[in-house]
Amino acid sequence: MELTIYQVDAFTDRVFAGNPAAVMPLSEWLPDDVLQAIALENNLSETAFFVPTQDDPNHDFHLRWFTPAIEVDLCGHATLASAAVLYRELGWAHDEIRFKALAGDLIVRRRKDLFELDFPVRAPVAEEPPAGFAEALGTKPVEFYKAKKFMAVLESEAAVKSVQPDMDFIAGMTGDGLIVTARGSAEEGESVDCVSRYFAPHAGIPEDPVTGSAHCTIIPYWAEKLGRKELYVRQISARGGDLYCTLVDDRVLIAGQAVLYMKGIVHVGNGWSVPD
Amino acid sequence: MDLTIYHVDAFTDRVFTGNPAAVVPLAEWLPNDQLQAIARENNLGATGFFVPAADDADHDFHIRWFTPSVEIELCGHATLASTAVLMQARGWDRDEIRFRAKAGSLIARKRGALLELNFPAKGRSAGTTPEGLDEALAATVIDYYETPGFKLAVLENEAAVRGARPDPEFLTNTVNAGVIVTAPGDDADCVSRFFAPYIGILEDPVTGSAHCMLVPYWADRLGKTEIHARQISARGGSLHCRVDGDRVLLAGQAVLYMTGIVRVEGGWGARAA
Repeated sequence: MELTIYQVDAFTDRVFAGNPAAVMPLSEWLPDDVLQAIALENNLSETAFFVPTQDDPNHDFHLRWFTPAIEVDLCGHATLASAAVLYRELGWAHDEIRFKALAGDLIVRRRKDLFELDFPVRAPVAEEPPAGFAEALGTKPVEFYKAKKFMAVLESEAAVKSVQPDMDFIAGMTGDGLIVTARGSAEEGESVDCVSRYFAPHAGIPEDPVTGSAHCTIIPYWAEKLGRKELYVRQISARGGDLYCTLVDDRVLIAGQAVLYMKGIVHVGNGWSVPD
Repeated sequence: MDLTIYHVDAFTDRVFTGNPAAVVPLAEWLPNDQLQAIARENNLGATGFFVPAADDADHDFHIRWFTPSVEIELCGHATLASTAVLMQARGWDRDEIRFRAKAGSLIARKRGALLELNFPAKGRSAGTTPEGLDEALAATVIDYYETPGFKLAVLENEAAVRGARPDPEFLTNTVNAGVIVTAPGDDADCVSRFFAPYIGILEDPVTGSAHCMLVPYWADRLGKTEIHARQISARGGSLHCRVDGDRVLLAGQAVLYMTGIVRVEGGWGARAA
């Protein structure tokens, strides 16, 4: 059996930047162990598979995501990559794509060259950082919050860029990893509202390149601080990503671009091998 | 610019097993930072690039290998994968390919259904088993040998190799080299696993270079020159090996998982240059 595979860099308009995902459109579901084996073989942080929904007036596609190790219940960047493939490669012509996923319904809207995800707010709640946190971070946070993820607000973009947290300490914190964030500095006339990085050593990811879900907490914080609902933000990992975000009540709309790196054919079962 | 990419599983005849490599044939060399960016984007153990060796009567191709983070001197599985790509997909119709690499010349030959690579054998000397190694491997080490960059820990049987659980901290801080664990195989001359957390690889699926030390050991111990070796990592691989003087010949199969087109400047969605 042959399947089409796309490798897409999400949340960027430059290849080799953003967060890479594999996207594999299917006509029907393959056994779970085959999906998992494919995701392991691809060895990207996520492989997304989708199948057209039959007889379901409320959804267009059923979408699932696999890391090399497990199926996950939600993945923003692979959803954005899947939407880009549907619009750019597979002729999808409607204003939105209605995905059905394990975590519930996911709507992706196209706004010119942006694809916009609709996520729930995860509001930050101020709390005292754990003992030893400033030492583990190498700098004292200006503010400290907890939502599903912890969030440390630092003094400057330079502090976010240079931070080298103690991964053992971060992995031991009882939450879904650590966001560090600061106000963005204007560069080349382009004003960035805030910058961030996200560390998730508890999940085997020392640093994630670009993280949609982190912005469920970053955006409500900076929207209030800056008194604006529309924010252009950057995740300043080594690969880097650009996110165009809008706070609407208890939802965060997170939009980004996506670039095609590779299109290929996967041979499930064997492709050629060395013949006798 | 568009490049063709192949994703091949080496040292196996079944997809989803063996050691995966990306293979990218080039007409001419790209800048190093672009090769590195492609290898990082592929995120496989190694990406092999090769270019026809023009004006070099002794070689057919120049080959280079990049992990996601650095260029490496030598990579057996990506060379096997490159050989398979040349012979299966790129119309190479001779039984031998002469690669020139930074580490020297590398000859690959087709031998029946196998592709065979010719490597220098690694010598070995008896080493002193570091205190705590048994605990760090969750196994009883019977014999212990050394060669630069590699340690060879001989265990009782295949079950012991299968059950080994490496402590990455110990293997990094105390051993600070790649550790091969090996034993007689149930249905092969020997089985092994290879742990290299000191260079960020907890366990390598199938490792050509480890067999340059492993095969001479088993050839001496079993008193024969042909050794069928299995590497019993989770993915698993099969190597048909021979000792020939100071050379080790490692043969295996390779299977195609994926063929694709890479857009080096980015396909749709890329910022206009």
